[in-house]
Amino acid sequence: MNPEARVAQQTLAPTAPRAHGMSDLAIRNLFIIPTIVFLIVFNIFPLIYSLGYSFTDFRASSNDPAHFVGLDNYRTLLSDPNIWSNFTITAKYVIISVTGQVIVGFGVAMLLNRNIPFKGLLTTLLLLPMMLSAAVVGLFWKLLYDPSFGIINYAFGLGTFEWLADPKMALYAIAIADIWMWSPFVMLLSLAGLSAVPKHLYEAAAIDRASGLYVFFRITLPLVAPILMIAVIFRTMEAFKTFDLAYILASQPTTEVISIRLYKMAFQEWQTGLSCAFAYIVLVMVLAITNIYVKYLNKVKER
Amino acid sequence: MAAVRTKGEMLRHRLSIISLLVILALFLAPIFWITATAFKPRNLATTVPPTVFFQPEFSPFVKLMTKRSQLRSAPTAEVYNAAPWWEQTVFDGGEKVVRSGKGEVQLSGFPSRFLNSLIIAITSTVLAVGMGTITAYGFSRFKVAGEDDWLFFILSTRMLPPVVVAIPMFLMYRVVGLNDTHLGLIILYTAFNLSFSVWLMKGFIDEIPKEYEDAALVDGYTRMQAFFRIVLPEAATGIAATAVFCFITAWNEYAFALIMTNKRAQTAPPFIPSQVGSGLPDWTVIAAGTFLFLVPVAIFTFLLRNHLLRGMSFGAIRK
Amino acid sequence: MHSKMAGLLAGAVMTLFGTSHAYSQELTIFWAEWDPANYLQELVNDYEAETGVKVTVETTPWADFQTKAFTEFNAKGSAYDLIVGDSQWLGAASEGGHYVDLTQFVKDNHVLDTMAPATVKFYSEYPGNSGKYWSIPAEGDAVGWSYRKDWFEDPTEMANFKAKYGYDLAVPKDWKALRDIAEFFYRPDQKRAGVAIYTDNSYDAMAMGFENALFSFGGELGDFGTYKVDGIVNSEKAIAALDAYRELYKFTPPGWAKSFFVEDNQAITENLAAMSMNYFAFFPALLNEASNPNAKNTGFFANPPGPGGDQFAALGGQGISIVSYSQNKDEAFKFLQWFIKDETQKKWAALGGYTCNKSVLESADFQNATPYNKAFYDTMFKVKDFWAVPEYAELLSQMNTRLYPLIVGGEGSSKDTLDALAADWKATFAKYGRGG
Repeated sequence: MNPEARVAQQTLAPTAPRAHGMSDLAIRNLFIIPTIVFLIVFNIFPLIYSLGYSFTDFRASSNDPAHFVGLDNYRTLLSDPNIWSNFTITAKYVIISVTGQVIVGFGVAMLLNRNIPFKGLLTTLLLLPMMLSAAVVGLFWKLLYDPSFGIINYAFGLGTFEWLADPKMALYAIAIADIWMWSPFVMLLSLAGLSAVPKHLYEAAAIDRASGLYVFFRITLPLVAPILMIAVIFRTMEAFKTFDLAYILASQPTTEVISIRLYKMAFQEWQTGLSCAFAYIVLVMVLAITNIYVKYLNKVKER
Repeated sequence: MAAVRTKGEMLRHRLSIISLLVILALFLAPIFWITATAFKPRNLATTVPPTVFFQPEFSPFVKLMTKRSQLRSAPTAEVYNAAPWWEQTVFDGGEKVVRSGKGEVQLSGFPSRFLNSLIIAITSTVLAVGMGTITAYGFSRFKVAGEDDWLFFILSTRMLPPVVVAIPMFLMYRVVGLNDTHLGLIILYTAFNLSFSVWLMKGFIDEIPKEYEDAALVDGYTRMQAFFRIVLPEAATGIAATAVFCFITAWNEYAFALIMTNKRAQTAPPFIPSQVGSGLPDWTVIAAGTFLFLVPVAIFTFLLRNHLLRGMSFGAIRK
Repeated sequence: MHSKMAGLLAGAVMTLFGTSHAYSQELTIFWAEWDPANYLQELVNDYEAETGVKVTVETTPWADFQTKAFTEFNAKGSAYDLIVGDSQWLGAASEGGHYVDLTQFVKDNHVLDTMAPATVKFYSEYPGNSGKYWSIPAEGDAVGWSYRKDWFEDPTEMANFKAKYGYDLAVPKDWKALRDIAEFFYRPDQKRAGVAIYTDNSYDAMAMGFENALFSFGGELGDFGTYKVDGIVNSEKAIAALDAYRELYKFTPPGWAKSFFVEDNQAITENLAAMSMNYFAFFPALLNEASNPNAKNTGFFANPPGPGGDQFAALGGQGISIVSYSQNKDEAFKFLQWFIKDETQKKWAALGGYTCNKSVLESADFQNATPYNKAFYDTMFKVKDFWAVPEYAELLSQMNTRLYPLIVGGEGSSKDTLDALAADWKATFAKYGRGG
């Protein structure tokens, strides 16, 4: 995982030069290198800074120098049961909310993927939730969920059902708001994937009198899978980092996702060194999970 | 496409339209409620059941745009009558407009922040989508040693929790003088969105058959011409979708906008929730801010809707 | 050609995003976004009219105030000349070198004589009793209570209350009465609850709420001089106080698991509770009929005494400090000199700011200006605060983690909870080498 070393190792495989215009090699370099260099330059300092301070007792709120403490921070964190509970909660949250988004988003995309009037307008309207900022969504959903004067309980006749105060329910309530907000993301990408499925495949299936399920699993899903996987990868990464919604909606011990603990550690307690170590543990986990996803994505694509 | 439908197909078609409408209603109810609240008088904001019929007001927008303060005592009739209509609506809400030492009406942070948001979100979206598209094309069409690793590196730039990146980034920006500048946030948001943009565009460009370009190259196009005239139009759906997502991300970013800016380059997202700070938040003002802030993204998306939905026309020849 | 383009581009970028000049005639004060910040903007507009120096009050949401301020500090940012910072920050901000030492200024301008002593002690001095001052008391604040006068004065309610508890229904004279009244009005079937308290554990809300019980029950957080906590924060009195606070939670409106100033004021405006705890700074909104339909029926009282007769309240409020990295320090000192003048403080109070100026606080004008100013005056002489050491936020996190499951979740006993908290705090102080 050291990008710089890779740059050095990189041997650029030459391709056949073209008769006129820029060579393919030049175009490739022009197209790729600026982005890579930009991302390396931009990320290298924060990464090194965080890694360096993760071995110290540095506090950014004071002007005191940092002391090297070796692996103490990592040891403290990995032996803290609260941190493990933060991870479990986050994992649960990611699974609930990403699954929900895929089901709702893909389902709506299937419904939309036909000739219907005002399709453009409908799609734009369905995308509205994700255009709001998470902080604002949090504020309004807190109001909507209120047991005394919230509209949700009124509309569904739930009396004073406590969405956010019940420690068991709160995480689901946050996930529901998140699903509301981000299903449109999955929907739009699925829609793009669905529209690429060649019509003649469906026509052929219809002639063969294939069942709806067969068509879905054998034709639709495999062809949409690559783009759906990209949606899942990005939603998983974002859900892992989720902060505003959870922070604004509830402060139950059962809803303290990693980002909240990390935020408190870094910006309230100003344990900068410790929080950097925490962030690296998180980074390694997300890297591992994403790696599995990407492997799977590549497998899906090869089919 | 006027295929004759069987009865069963008609029924399925109707059922799916009905379920679509139900989902639409569920999805839009909160947004409809926010929009309605933006035009309500304050005392109707939190009623249960929600008030549906009311005389729309513009006072929430006036309040959103101005600096206000609680009224200690009601204004005299003369003061009230001499005030312009918009100031009267503020008086009606139990508040007064704050004036500067020179007697000018002081604006709230919203108008300037809104403008900043526009500049920053639009520029960074153009950059992220542009760079993302060409990079995706590079990865899709050419052999790159360690391609998978590079792509994974690009993806990984989005994995670190922002909380941790914030402090080093802030220090770095201060050294190079980018803190509290439009340019600083533009670069930041471009970097955020690049990983997404590259990955999504690669997904789309991979789907465009190489045969298209090969045919063009045989016809005497240069590679560049083939890219601009053949690939880009084919990738319009992907570009539109990527642009919408990048714009939304940049438009709503909160944490860095809060930390990196002070006065000059502040964007709107941190401003709207700040209205909760008064002892009793005026939900109509928060709704007005939310509504106004939704309009540009909604318009942007609506303008791109045909591209979003056009689908990939080449699908038919896919293997 | 290439370099020309680059030059043009650079020029365009410079004009678009060019750095603005630091006008010496401009001062920026940083505070959280709330009503008092608007009052302060009104006040400093007078300063501009008088001196030509433009003063701007920059604000950020309360939830991000601490984060934003300290991020600026640790990057030695000069964006803000003055800051109206929380009392708990004094340790971190003074030890970190972020605040200008105002000790000489305080002496030269006789701040100790003009401001109420408790406010100087909590908003300005660090470490305690050291005689070193880092800010000037700006916005005094403490926790008080609002209540529904119409519910309290209803003849049927009064008769029923008397029959049940044996004494008259009135503003609670102690925490026992507070509890009884809360229980009395707790009627879920009528969509009414007894009391609204702070329970939000995202930052300091729940801790401040509990402090009102703790201090009035005669308990303490610890010894601020020796950092001894064991036997103090888990004393008999502290345990009784935690039992009392946790019992109040039973009489709160439904879903009261993340409540702070907004929720507690809404408890009054939305007819949810008979009594509601809140900082005085948030009471003006309750007097305003445009924001509180029950404005005419809302009354106020000071935090009542506990069983032993002790009466204290949790401190809020902020002092104004000069940021070490400001480039306009001289101008900032001049501004402070203007700010502490009696006339300015009087105007500050009239605009709605909570002055800490002794003579203004004692004046009948001030005490009769609002229904709660008298209660505020009484309270400001009986306030106590949380730890102000640089690592206060760690202590706060530990307190939140321990207390929340007990108060809101009803898990465990008060004694075990406070014993565990004492152990946490002891370990934290040991980590930072405090108290030997």
